[in-house]
Amino acid sequence: MHKGDAVAEADRDGYKIVCEHISKEFIQKGKQRVHVLEDISVEVRKNEFVVILGPGQSGKTTLLRIVAGLEIPTTGRVLLDGREVTGPGPDRGLVFQSYMLFPWKTVMGNVEMGPKLRGVPKKERREIAAYYIRLVGLDGFENHYPHQLSGGMKQRVGIARAYGNNPEVMLLDEPFGQLDAQTRYFMEKETVRIWETEKRTVIFVTNNIDEAIYLGDRIITLKGKLPGRMQAVYEVNLPRPREHTEMKFLELRHTITEVSELTL
Amino acid sequence: MDVIANEVQAVVKEKRPFTVLGLLKNRWFLYGVSLVFFFFIWDFVAATRILGSSLARPHEVLIQLGQMMVDPLAGKSLLGHIWASTQRILIGFVIASLVAVPLGLMMALNPYINAVVKPVFDLLKPMPPIAWISISILWFGIGEASKVFIIIIGTFVPCLLNSYNGVRLIEPELYDVVRMLGGNRRQEIIQVCFPASFPAIFAGLQISLSIAWTCVLAAELVSARSGLGFVIILGMNLSRPALIVGGMVVIAVVAWATTLLVTLLEKFACPWKREIVGL
Repeated sequence: MHKGDAVAEADRDGYKIVCEHISKEFIQKGKQRVHVLEDISVEVRKNEFVVILGPGQSGKTTLLRIVAGLEIPTTGRVLLDGREVTGPGPDRGLVFQSYMLFPWKTVMGNVEMGPKLRGVPKKERREIAAYYIRLVGLDGFENHYPHQLSGGMKQRVGIARAYGNNPEVMLLDEPFGQLDAQTRYFMEKETVRIWETEKRTVIFVTNNIDEAIYLGDRIITLKGKLPGRMQAVYEVNLPRPREHTEMKFLELRHTITEVSELTL
Repeated sequence: MDVIANEVQAVVKEKRPFTVLGLLKNRWFLYGVSLVFFFFIWDFVAATRILGSSLARPHEVLIQLGQMMVDPLAGKSLLGHIWASTQRILIGFVIASLVAVPLGLMMALNPYINAVVKPVFDLLKPMPPIAWISISILWFGIGEASKVFIIIIGTFVPCLLNSYNGVRLIEPELYDVVRMLGGNRRQEIIQVCFPASFPAIFAGLQISLSIAWTCVLAAELVSARSGLGFVIILGMNLSRPALIVGGMVVIAVVAWATTLLVTLLEKFACPWKREIVGL
C-alpha cells in the first residue's frame, strides 16, 4: 500500500530519479575537509538520456556515485521511483571509466556476474548474458579474458555486465575517456544503438561536449573547480542518429562552449 | 589482419634472410657463446690450477655425479640425498603456506585479527631464519624436526606478507562492482578478494620456495647425515672438489625444478595470467 503510494507519487511527478539539493564533503586525512558538490538538484524522467557535462574536478563522478548509492550525500537525498536511495543495488547498473572488469573471468563470466550474485540458475543466467553479449556486439568472444580485448571491447563488456541485472537505470562514468578519438566516436554510435534497443533511464557523465550533444536528451553542465555547482541545463531536440556537422549541433556546441569553461 | 567488433588488430611476423651479421645478432647464438665461454674459463682455471687443486674440472664433476648415482655415499645414493632435502622442504613449505596464507588473508580482511597478530609478526619478521638454527637444534635435536622448523620460520614471512598485500592492494572499485551488482560482503570476498590475491599469493610461494632451499642447506650444513647440504660438507671434509661442485650443481637443478612446479601450479590456478610474458 505504502509502496504503491510512492510509485503513484513518482508517476505524478513523472520523474524516475530525483536528486534533491545534494552536497558532499569528504573528510580527508588530517581532518581536512574537501567540499566536492554544492546544492545539486537534478530530475530525470523515465527512459531519458541525461548527460552530466563538466570539466575535471567538478565532482561529476562523485554525483554519479551518490546516485549509485556508493557514496552518501552530506546533505540532500536521492529518490529513485520516489524511494530514498540508501545504498548500491541491482536496480542501477554502473559502468566505470577504467572498465573494472574481473581479469580472472572471461567475457561470459563477467557479464553473468550480476545474475550469478542474485542466485539465478546457471542455464538461465548464461542465456541472459549471451543476449547482452550479442547486444553489445561481442558474440564470439564469450571465452576471451579481458586482457585479450581492446579498450573499446572491454567497455562493451562493462556495458553488457551493467545490463546483465536488467537495471532500470544505467549510470555511466566517463565510459569512453580512455579510448582513442575514432574508437570513442564509434562507441558513442554504439551507445545510441544499444540504448534504442534496450531503453533505460541513463545518466551519462562526461567532459566532452561533442559526446554530450551527440548522446543526450538533456545536458546538465557543472561549473568547474570544487565544489561543483550546477551551471545550466540544455535540451537537445535533435533527432537521432545525430551528425556532428549539423548546423543545430554546431550552434548548441557553440552556446555550451561560450557559457562553460569547457573548450574542446 | 583481424577485424574484431570494428576495431582492427594486425599481426605481423617478419622473416629475415640468413646472414652472418644476423647470426651474430641472434639471441640463441649469443646464449650459446655465453655458455661455451663460461665453461671454457672454468675448465681453463681448473686445469691450470690457478686456484690450486680446489676446483674440479667440469667433466670431473659429471663423472662424480654419475658415480654417485651408482655408489651410495654415507648410505644413500644421489637420488636419496636429493629426496632427503626435498622432503624436508616439502613438509616445511606445505605447513608454512597452509598456516601463513590463510592468516595473511584474514589479517587483511579483519582489522582486529590484524591488530592482534601484526605486532608479534613485525617483531619476528626482520630476524633472518638462519639465526634460528642453533636454538632449533637445542629444541628439536639434530633430526628432521629442527630442519623442518627452520624452513617453516623462513617461508612463513613471505607467504603471509604476500597474501596480506595481495588483498590490501586490490582496486577498491572492484568491490563497488560487486556491490552494484547486488552482492553482499561474503560475495565480495569470494568473487574479488580470493581470485584477485591469487597472483600475489603465488609470488609469495615462489619466494618462499627459494628461501626454503637456503634454509634447508644452512640447516644441513650445520648438522645432518643426509641431504644435499650434507653432500657438500662431506666434499669439504674429504677435500673432494668434484663432490662439492657436483652438490652445488644438483641443488641448483632441483631448486629450479621445484620452482617450475609452482609456476605450473600458478598457470593452472590463474589461467587469466597465462599470456602475460616476463612475470
